Amino acid sequence: MTLSRRGFVSAAALVLLLAPAEVWAGQPTDQLRTQVDRVVRVLEDPELKQESTVKARRAAVRKIANDIFDFSETAKRSLARHWPPRTPAEREEFVTLFADLLERGYISKIEVYGGEKIAYLGETIEGDLATVRTKITTKQQTDIPIDYRMLVRGEKWLVYDVIIEGVSLIANYRTQFNKIITTSSYQELVRRMKTKQEEFDEDERKRTSQR
Amino acid sequence: MERARVNIAVGLFVLIGIVALGYLSIQLGRVSFLGATGYVVTADFPSVGGLKPGSTVEIAGVEIGRVEAIGLADYQARVTLRIHAGVKLQEDAIASIKTKGLIGEKYLRISPGGSDRIIPPHGKIREVEAPVDFEELLSKYIFGKV
Repeated sequence: MTLSRRGFVSAAALVLLLAPAEVWAGQPTDQLRTQVDRVVRVLEDPELKQESTVKARRAAVRKIANDIFDFSETAKRSLARHWPPRTPAEREEFVTLFADLLERGYISKIEVYGGEKIAYLGETIEGDLATVRTKITTKQQTDIPIDYRMLVRGEKWLVYDVIIEGVSLIANYRTQFNKIITTSSYQELVRRMKTKQEEFDEDERKRTSQR
Repeated sequence: MERARVNIAVGLFVLIGIVALGYLSIQLGRVSFLGATGYVVTADFPSVGGLKPGSTVEIAGVEIGRVEAIGLADYQARVTLRIHAGVKLQEDAIASIKTKGLIGEKYLRISPGGSDRIIPPHGKIREVEAPVDFEELLSKYIFGKV
């Protein structure tokens, strides 16, 4: 009796231990959380926190971003109806420029991260698309809702859109790109993105050489 | 005899008045229960804040349909749209609820996508943007900084 009860208890414990892993394996929230935790670890790494290691830290964050973001999908959706007419070479160039643009805009912003809390509120999966709802609580106790739109690529869930305070990243860039392309041309858009990147590189060089 | 004719004239006049009133209310209420054309798609929003049945659906500021119904589905707002027959919506089209001007009425703006897959009739727009709640944003800036 006691033996069978002990057996039952250990079996139950085993089930409890294994169940969450099985239920959550391959779920979008889990995959997102893993990568976000990696980024947080990089940002909190004291060795990478020094000013001299900005480059190394940025490269580390970019590498993780490449693991969880599907930049080509984001670029494609942002260019929207101007994407199909592009040649494969143009597409490749645009995805690179677009990833650089996002890095300038966002990766430099998350570097000011200082232990803000990230809460995962839930997920909804609809066919090959999913939404993971999260919330960042700032030090001023303000909640910023951030939703990640993800799509499945084989085994992996990849983020293609980020919705902050209800404003979609893709919708924002789609409007801007469309305006530039319809008022001037696609070449003009690429030229502008290139000059912005060159200016940014120039600024970075000045900033580092001053020290 | 004379009296009967007057009665008929008044009756006709009232009848015409009622018909005119009915026509006017259909026009103003933007209801089209006779011969609804085009096709229907749905979209789920976390909140529709002020969007109403009859609100316009626009691409580039041009009306391409109307909001037909708004209901609740799994604690989300499910908006049913009737889109003009000639307009095709790509699978990655984004539906955003926008305000005309700063305090104007709400409308639904669709920014067309680039996918080669088209949303079929009774399909669903999966990329949505809820309206930005200015009051909530404002209160965050007012009360947020302690």
